[in-house]
Order: sequence, then structure tokens, then C-alpha cells
Amino acid sequence: MTTLTLSPGAVRAGASRVVPYVIAVLFAFLASGVLIAVLGHDPVDAFRAILTSSFKSSFGFVETVQKWVPLVLLALGFTIPLAAGKYNIGGEGQLLVGATAAAGVGIVFANLPMVVLLPAILLAGVVAGALWAGIAAWLMDRFGVSEILSTVLLNFISFGIVDYVASEVWSDPAAGHPTTIPVGDGALLPLIGNPSMHSGVLLAVLVAAGTVIMMRRSVAGFELNAVGANARAAQVHGIRIGRIVVGALVMGGALGGFAGAVEVAGIHGKLIEGMQSNYLLLAIIIGLIARGNTLAVPFVAFGIAVLEVGASAMQRSAGVPSEMVLIVEALILFFLLLSDVVGSRLRRSER
Amino acid sequence: MDSDLRTPGVMAGTGGAGHPVLEMTGIRKTFGPVVALDGVDFAVGASEVHGLIGGNGAGKTTLMNVLYGLYKPDGGTVRLGGREIVVRNPRDAINHGIGMVHQNFLQVDSYTVAENIVLGTPQPSFPALNLREAEAKIADLAERFGLKVEPRIPVQYLSVGIRQRVEILKALYRGARILVLDEPTTNLTPQEVDSLFGSLRAIVDEGMSVVFITHKIRETMAVCDELTIMRDGLRVATLHRRDTTTRDLAMLMVGDEETAERVAAVIGAESTNRGHQVAAGKTQPSEKVAPRLKVSGLNADNDHGVRSVHDLDLGITRGEVLGIAGVAGNGQVELAECLAGVRPLSGGAVEVDGVALAGRLTAQWLAAGVAYVPEDRHRDGILPGASIIQNLILGAQRSARFSKHGLIDWSAARRHAEEAMSAYSVRASGATAAAATLSGGNIQRVILARAFAHRPGFLIFHNPTRGLDIASTQFVYDRVREATADGTSVLLLSEDLDELTHLADRILVLYRGQVVAERQRGAYDQCELGRFMAGIVEES
Repeated sequence: MTTLTLSPGAVRAGASRVVPYVIAVLFAFLASGVLIAVLGHDPVDAFRAILTSSFKSSFGFVETVQKWVPLVLLALGFTIPLAAGKYNIGGEGQLLVGATAAAGVGIVFANLPMVVLLPAILLAGVVAGALWAGIAAWLMDRFGVSEILSTVLLNFISFGIVDYVASEVWSDPAAGHPTTIPVGDGALLPLIGNPSMHSGVLLAVLVAAGTVIMMRRSVAGFELNAVGANARAAQVHGIRIGRIVVGALVMGGALGGFAGAVEVAGIHGKLIEGMQSNYLLLAIIIGLIARGNTLAVPFVAFGIAVLEVGASAMQRSAGVPSEMVLIVEALILFFLLLSDVVGSRLRRSER
Repeated sequence: MDSDLRTPGVMAGTGGAGHPVLEMTGIRKTFGPVVALDGVDFAVGASEVHGLIGGNGAGKTTLMNVLYGLYKPDGGTVRLGGREIVVRNPRDAINHGIGMVHQNFLQVDSYTVAENIVLGTPQPSFPALNLREAEAKIADLAERFGLKVEPRIPVQYLSVGIRQRVEILKALYRGARILVLDEPTTNLTPQEVDSLFGSLRAIVDEGMSVVFITHKIRETMAVCDELTIMRDGLRVATLHRRDTTTRDLAMLMVGDEETAERVAAVIGAESTNRGHQVAAGKTQPSEKVAPRLKVSGLNADNDHGVRSVHDLDLGITRGEVLGIAGVAGNGQVELAECLAGVRPLSGGAVEVDGVALAGRLTAQWLAAGVAYVPEDRHRDGILPGASIIQNLILGAQRSARFSKHGLIDWSAARRHAEEAMSAYSVRASGATAAAATLSGGNIQRVILARAFAHRPGFLIFHNPTRGLDIASTQFVYDRVREATADGTSVLLLSEDLDELTHLADRILVLYRGQVVAERQRGAYDQCELGRFMAGIVEES
């Protein structure tokens, strides 16, 4: 009996994975289209602006890809601990601390040549992010402090650090906003490709690919997923849960710190207060839409980057407030989660 | 209570000849593509204990859940006293006089016996809840049916056996005329089982009916008047107990001659062993040989830091099966986990093949040849969402067989999984099927395949056949024998005395974390063990 039902079952399993996404995206656009119309704008114009501005001009495309970099890195930094059942809500703090460390190294050693300085500031960002998340991991492992609380609270501390560094330590008085003086030229990521974009994009692709391999093929990834799937069973079979979850959080922090360093070295050339934008929120949405699947994260992140870049175009051409895009993103997640509820209700009603 | 109540045929006033009280016809129930019940007919007469027997997944519990209103049938009718009824939920069932006692009791721990029994029934509650009348009624029921309980004790202080009485009283208090018991003898000592059977007899003597769901053939022969055997969602036969034998029943349950012979042989050997002592059969010259496993002065704490195992010493030689008998909660879990290297010892030493393991990491215990088949398969044994392949390499993911340079060799893992699945007859849609989708028997086969894959020197089994059907149970027994033939030492912790009698070369009885008795194979009877398990007698 089991062999007979195999092939239709497999087909159904595949379909049941894709269909909710399609429905969720359609419903989200439908619902926000109604909202846009109610606000007195033309939904068709608005959506055209959102969906095409990334592909109409090379400027839009470069902007989209460069926005994708912090999103994919932070989303992976959220997803890796999630696989072990831990919630890293500290992405923006890790990004800011990483950016601070990178900017600091870039400013202090501004005269070093690129071969030394560029790797140094990227490394500084990674280490700072890892240490920052390491605080939360240590508190969790040693005292059982919830990592959700500690990572969120560490975000607030990082705001203070950025504010202090950008307005007291290496402040640029001409900027009129808490900003540091620029890093040395050797600290800037070179441009590549045509249309040209900063080479951090390439690094992010490599990091994302490495993460996928780590999670799916490596022993460490297997143990990480085992802890998330059933920590008790993992422990019974010799996996050290404490080490795994600490390692996962630290690694998530390292990715956040790396994102911060790339933002400094590729986009801003300095530390700016508020540079974390709403990346953490978007990264969590991406991680949840991808349902924790690291292979899906880069693609979902690209979709979100398209929406984000399209948002300002929509505001310009259709007059719809750019915040509408956040509503679209939230609705996608909302309908996706709703599909779980509907699905389990359907299954239960068969009883 | 210990009187001759186990021969019901003599005094049973079976109502089988007259009109059945309960008649279920053509009951059909599907879960998605799975047909759980395929047009089952089932009838129970007044004053009869009706055994509903079959292996796991045969549909026994599903059928009764339909009767109790927990599942909505796809087809079929239910008649009570000749009138057709529709049961939509348990409340309907109670109103029709149908009561059910599940395997897991739903009781409020901090409430007293009486409070638990009346919970959900209307009671005089002004100016304050007054249970006096209810207590009198409970006392009357308890007296009539031999279900002695103290109504004012919170149930958390009671043993499983007594809590089960509370559950039966709950159904009777609500006016049940048909009482359904789902595998009621799990976790009971032999004495408690006898007492339960006595109560069931008293209940049917007053004209009520009992449906007794079980997969244990011996129990059905001991207490039932009528028997309905189910297999694969079908009713195979309905028989008078007097007209059948254990061999016939085993044959009907498994539908395979060879397995049936062996099952009947186990039960047969058992019944001669029960009630009187048998001269020692195969004895183990355990004093002569140096033990493979040596435990001295073991102390273990439970999850709340309370000492649960006290200064335990034991040794197991090559190829020996040491059984641990005891009522659940007397330190078995802590002992098993300590010896598996999962729970840190609170004192003492453990040596496997001369390697001292106390204080080492779990992975080092595994590497020393310790394998553990835990009691709670779902909680401790599998990664539910992960594939069979992933589950089979769990614990061996760092071994050279499955990994190179920190990367897992998934094609080797898949090959291993496919071989293991055929060697252990794991039935699944494929090696990539999620473990959670497998039946209990197949999950246990996956766990066994994993435990045996690294040729363990010391194997710990904790209730290895609980909830398994006959074929899977036999499979587990065969593997245990194979392992001991290879020289593996086995520790078998079980609440099933038949299983211990069948497999163990030597039995220790664990009571409150201490060994209170030790017996060689054949040199005991189960009732004697039962007294040790209940803590009634202690050996000096």
C-alpha cells in the first residue's frame, strides 16, 4: 500500500510546498491593491513601479543587488540559530557593532595599503559581531537567560555605542548628523562588473553558498539541525547541545558583523547613525518566509530587495507612500502563516 | 481478590445468546488514504467481558474511539439496546451509558479522588461545594466492584493501579453501562492485574458490559468471555473463549503460521512458569566470568535533583541478558540514562570492557560500545522531521564511515540506510521519508538498526516492545538473541514480566531505586516478583 501511494504522495508534497507561497504572494498583492485603491491611488501603477524599477535601469539593478547583501547576511544570521531552535533578534546590533569595529580599524589604520587594510576591517567586523552575539550566547549557556531578550537588549546598547563613536570619538562635525570621518581609501571594497557594483556582493554570494553547504552537507550542520529537530534525542546520541547552540548564535553574530563591515567598506565609507535601516525586521521576515531553509533565503532576500528598491519608485511615480511595501511584505508572511493554519484545519476536519 | 476469578467460563452468564446490548455494523473509517476500519461489525452482550484483540494498527482503539464519539465514522451504524444512536462526542457517549478508560489518564493531580471523579458532573455548590453525597456514592461503587480507593487523597500520591481505579469509578459514577478499557494492564503488577480482573468480573455480574482492548493473548484468555480479533482494520473472527486456544488466537492475530507457533510457544512457556517454581533451566555461570559491564556504587538523581538510584552494584557478563523488573518510576529511567552516559552520575563508577566511563562525554560512551534503546522512542530516539537516512547516522555522523573532512557523505549514508531498511524490514515510502511518518514498530526498527550498526558491547533496552505489534516484538526478541550470541551484554529494563521471563538470564527487582531481589532464570514465579515490585516483601 505504501509503495502505491508513493509517487502521488511525493507530487502532492512538492505541490503543497509551493502552492502556499504562490497563494500568499497573490493574496498579499490583492489585499494591498485594495488598500492602495482605497487610499485613492492606482494600484496597477503602484505595482508596476514596485516590480519593474529594479530591472528598468542599471542603477536600479545595482541598488537592488547591493541592498540584497545586508539582507541576505542578516537573514542567514537569523536562520542559522533558528535551525537549532534559537532566536537571534540581535541582527542590527551585530551589524552596528561590526560596522563600528570596521570603521574604527579603517580610520585608525587609514594609511595602510588595501591588501592589508581591507581584509583587516572585514575581519574586525566579523569578530566584533561574533563577540557581540557571544555575550548573549554566554548568558544563555551559563545562566539560562533567554537569547531573545538578551539579543534585543544588546541592540539598544549598540545604538549607544554607535552614537558615542560617531559623535565623540571620530566625529565628522561637518556632517550635521552623527557620522564618523571617512575610512582610508584602502578600506573600500573595489567595484566590479558592468554595471559596476561593490565587490561585497561577490563575498555575500560566497558566504551564502558556504552557509548552504555548511547547513546541508557538513557534520556541524547536521548536528545543528539535529538539535533543532529534537534536542533530547541529539543529546542522547552524543551531541553537545550547549556547544551547538552557542556556536550557532556566535556564527549568526559573525554574519551580522560581516554585513556591517561590508556596509562600511562598500556603501558608506564611514559609520553613520541609523545605517542599520530596517534590515533586522526584513531579515526576520525573510527567514520566516523561507521557513528557515538556508537555500531559499538568498532568493527570498532578493525578492524583498526588489520590493524595497521599488518602494521609492512607487512613491515618486504613483504617489503611494513607500511604507506600503512593508505592508505587502507583512501580508506575504501573514498569508503564508495563515496557510499553515488553514492546512492543519483541513487535515483535522478529515478526521 | 486473588481468588479463582481468572476462570470466568465457569460462572459467566454470557448474554451472547440473547440480544446484544451494543451492536456496531459496517463501521468504516479512513484517515486520508489509510483505511483504519473497513466495515467492521462488533457486538457486545449484557454481562460479558468482551476482548477486542489485535496487533498495533489493527484498528481496535480506532473502533472504540468511534463508539466513544472521538472519531466520526465514514459509514456504519451503532445500535444500543436495538435503537440506532449517533454519538457525536464523549458527552453523547456518557449520556448513552458508554464509558471509556484511556491509556493516559486525564486527571488533575492536585485534586482528590472524589473531586476527580465528580469533575464535570453537576454537584450541589451553594454555599460551598459539598461532596458528601458524591463520596457516599463513590464508596458504594468501590465496595460493590472491589475498586478500593480513599476518596479524600489527592491523586498525585496514588500508584498507577489506583489511579486506574479512579478512572473506572469515574465512568461508573457517570452511569456507564458499557465500559471500554484501552490496554488497561500496561504498568500494572501481576497482583494489580488480578485485582482489576476481579473488578471487571464484578461489574459484568451486575449486568453491565466490558470491552477490554489488548494485544496480550494471555490476558484475554484469563478474563474475557467473548473475543473479537481484528487485523488490518478488519474483524477477523468473534469467538467464545472456551472454544479457542492461545495458538488459534495467535494465528488469527498475526495471520502467519510460523510466527503464531513462536508466539504461542512463548505464552505456553510462560503459563507453566506462572504460579509455581520451575527448576532452573539455563543458568549462567556468571561468577566465573569477568563482567563486561561493571557498575559499582552507582547513585543517580532525577530531573528534580532527588536521589532516585542508591548505591547500585551490578555486573553483566559476555552474552548475558540482565533483566530489571519494577513498577515504572522506581529509578529505571535514571538507571538507564546513567548507564547510557546521558545522565551524569551522582556517584559511583561504570566500566565497559575495562574502560572507566563515569564523568565522560556521551559521545565517549558511544565510542566505548554502549548503545541505548530508550523507552520514549519519540522523545529520545528520533529526529521526527528528519529522514530515515539522517536518523540512522545520528550519533555516527563523525565516524569515518559517514564523513570526510567535516562533510557528510550523504551517498554513503543513503546506501547504509537502504541496506539497514531491508535488513530490519523497515516499511516506509523510502529512505527519505520523515521518521515521524512511520508507525511505532517501524520507528523502533530504525532505532534498533542504528543501535546495532556500531556493534555495541553493551546494549541498554528500556521497554523495547511497548506498543509494538506481535511481529515487531518478535523481531526485537530475535535481535536481542542475536546480539547476545555475538557476546554483547544486554541490560533489559521492562515493565512486562512476560518479556523479562522470556529474555532475561537473571532478573533484579528495582524498588525505590534499590535492588530488592535477584533471581536466576527459572528460579522464580511472577507473583513472587510482583510482591517485590510492590515493595511488600524485602529480601535481607
